Amino acid sequence: MLSIRNLQASVGDKPILKGINLDVKAGEVHAIMGPNGSGKSTLSNVLAGRENATVTGGSVTYQGKDLLALAVEERAREGVFLAFQYPVEIPGVGNVYLLKAALNAQRKHRGLPELDAMDFLALVKDKMKLMEMNESMLYRAVNEGFSGGEKKRNEILQMVVLEPCLAILDETDSGLDIDALKVVSHGVNSLRSPDRAMILVTHYQRLLDYIKPDFVHVLSDGRIQRSGGPELALELEREGYAWVGDAGNEGAVTP
Amino acid sequence: MNPFLTQCRASFEAQATLEGAVGRERRQAEWTRFEALGWPTTRLEDWKYTALSGLEKLSLHSTAESREAGKDGPPELTLEEVPAPRLVFVDGLFQPALSMLEGLPEGVHLRFWSELDAPARERFAQKMVPARSLTAFGALNGALVTEGIWITVDAGCALEIPLHLVKVSQTGQRMSHGALLLEMGEDSELVLQEHCVGNTDQPTHSNWVTAVELAPRARLTLVKVQKEGILSYHTAALHALQRAGSRLQVFSFALSGALGRNDITLRLIEPHAECVLKGVYRVADRALQDFHTSIEHDSPHCTSDECFKGVLDGTGKAVFNGRVRVALDAQKTASRQSNHNLLLSDKAEVNTKPQLEILADDVQCSHGTTVGQLDEEQWFYLRTRGIAADLARTLLIQAFTLEISEAIPHAGVRAAVRRLLGGTTEENGHV
Ligand SMILES: Nc1ncnc2c1ncn2[C@@H]1O[C@H](COP(=O)(O)OP(=O)(O)OP(=O)(O)O)[C@@H](O)[C@H]1O
Ligand SMILES: [Mg+2]
Repeated sequence: MLSIRNLQASVGDKPILKGINLDVKAGEVHAIMGPNGSGKSTLSNVLAGRENATVTGGSVTYQGKDLLALAVEERAREGVFLAFQYPVEIPGVGNVYLLKAALNAQRKHRGLPELDAMDFLALVKDKMKLMEMNESMLYRAVNEGFSGGEKKRNEILQMVVLEPCLAILDETDSGLDIDALKVVSHGVNSLRSPDRAMILVTHYQRLLDYIKPDFVHVLSDGRIQRSGGPELALELEREGYAWVGDAGNEGAVTP
Repeated sequence: MNPFLTQCRASFEAQATLEGAVGRERRQAEWTRFEALGWPTTRLEDWKYTALSGLEKLSLHSTAESREAGKDGPPELTLEEVPAPRLVFVDGLFQPALSMLEGLPEGVHLRFWSELDAPARERFAQKMVPARSLTAFGALNGALVTEGIWITVDAGCALEIPLHLVKVSQTGQRMSHGALLLEMGEDSELVLQEHCVGNTDQPTHSNWVTAVELAPRARLTLVKVQKEGILSYHTAALHALQRAGSRLQVFSFALSGALGRNDITLRLIEPHAECVLKGVYRVADRALQDFHTSIEHDSPHCTSDECFKGVLDGTGKAVFNGRVRVALDAQKTASRQSNHNLLLSDKAEVNTKPQLEILADDVQCSHGTTVGQLDEEQWFYLRTRGIAADLARTLLIQAFTLEISEAIPHAGVRAAVRRLLGGTTEENGHV
């Protein structure tokens, strides 16, 4: 589904991603861990199409297409979804409006008829139940005045409504209380299927108790330094990242 | 004399001959005052950023010289959207056939300037003096006035539905000089929506003057949407006098035209009066919008709440000059003012100036000004949800001004304004 080859990106003239290699197949869940500032969000944003980091080398192939050549909104309509580490507040744009416009843009792209207001509301209310969210949030502006945890929940609500093929969750677990973590994980798990893939960026092993990854990667200093199975996360939890750098892998081991 | 003034003088002389002695004298007095004030140039502080060179070159005729206006009627589409009761003016002349007055309660009285006798016209003119004194265009209005409407709302009379005023600039190369006098009795209530529309790509000039008086506890909402043709010039003055406990809400949307200049003065002359003054200006290439507002707290315990938002694209320019004066004995005044601007191009330009003159000491006054660009992060976020780049931009621009239209207290008017502001994304309004 996704194949990242020697991806390099810089912010200004500062290299942040220094040659990322990663293969994600349909049905797989990959966790990316790594110290603060190692480039996890930069990678997520580059995949979604953000331009404040400039791609300076490498390639990304998504479902056979050159992902980097697609506009941000085209990537989204092709099924790429990014749940932001810090979801932005957008006063004046209704949450429900955004959900509907987003869903219909995607349906149109796939040649499906747009949903009318009734069908759409029925669908969204159903998903809100799954996310244990209060319906009143639909009628507020996007993320405006939402608590940190509510914002994260709202990101996952959008995800379960849009049903992406490739979901990238950037620290969706940060700032969630224990109950919310369960709800969010439940939402994410409800989307797991053989034709979907996920990349979870996280600092905590705890999330991986709820969403079992197939692979765990350690991103440090702009490179994937280690890759392994779920046991790698446990190891990191015990040992921290100090030893990772020492491994000093030439090019990462990708599954 | 520039071509514009030459033609104005000709119109003034033609119209003066149609009047009796009193009317002639009045027009002459206004013309003399206009000449004394002088043609506004950028050398004057109040016109520093608003050059009238485009208008100066135009030779525009006044409709009163021919009185054949409105034969084709204004654009159907525009009128269909405007329900009764409505008053329609085309090129500055009242159009009974296009107007619909059903639904007006008995307590609302309409008198037309053209039908007044000389003494009544003089009384009308007297009441227009403060509004006509705001700028030189006010004096010009007095000298060239073609029609006026005098609305009185009896004490205690509350109009449930909004009254609409449609002003159509129908014919190219025309100017219209109308006057509106609105007197609200004690405890009366009215919502007035003013539509300024254009039906020509030719240059036009609309120069209306509005004078409002609110008796104690009267409540008035004025909503003006200006969406005239691309070569339209629009100058307008509003002067309001508020007595004890009255509440005035003014919403002004300046959305198109070559040049727009609004002078708005609200005077809180008795205690516990409240005013809200909110507006949006939007300019694109070569267009200019200018709001000069003045809120005068002459009495204690009054509140004012002012907010203007501007969206500037291309080579568009805007001017906001917001004066707030709090007199020495206007203690316990609460006044807020803000002006926020969204620059969509690096060639757009805004000159914003708060002007606070606070003499009383026990007051709460605040003001704030911002000039910013579209938020990249918000734009990116919307696009990551599959929203097209253009629509995402439109949504964010709309979101920026939404707060103003959503503050309109009347649901029907609010929806109509949302439509006029919106285009494709009106659904988003319900936030
Ligand atoms: N606009 C910018 N200007 C300068 N440096 C930047 C900019 N954006 C990102 N960086 C730098 O890029 C590096 C990687 O940042 P990134 O947000 O990708 O880290 P991260 O791995 O997601 O960290 P965290 O775990 O704290 O979320 C950091 O050193 C950061 O300071
Ligand atoms: Mg991060």
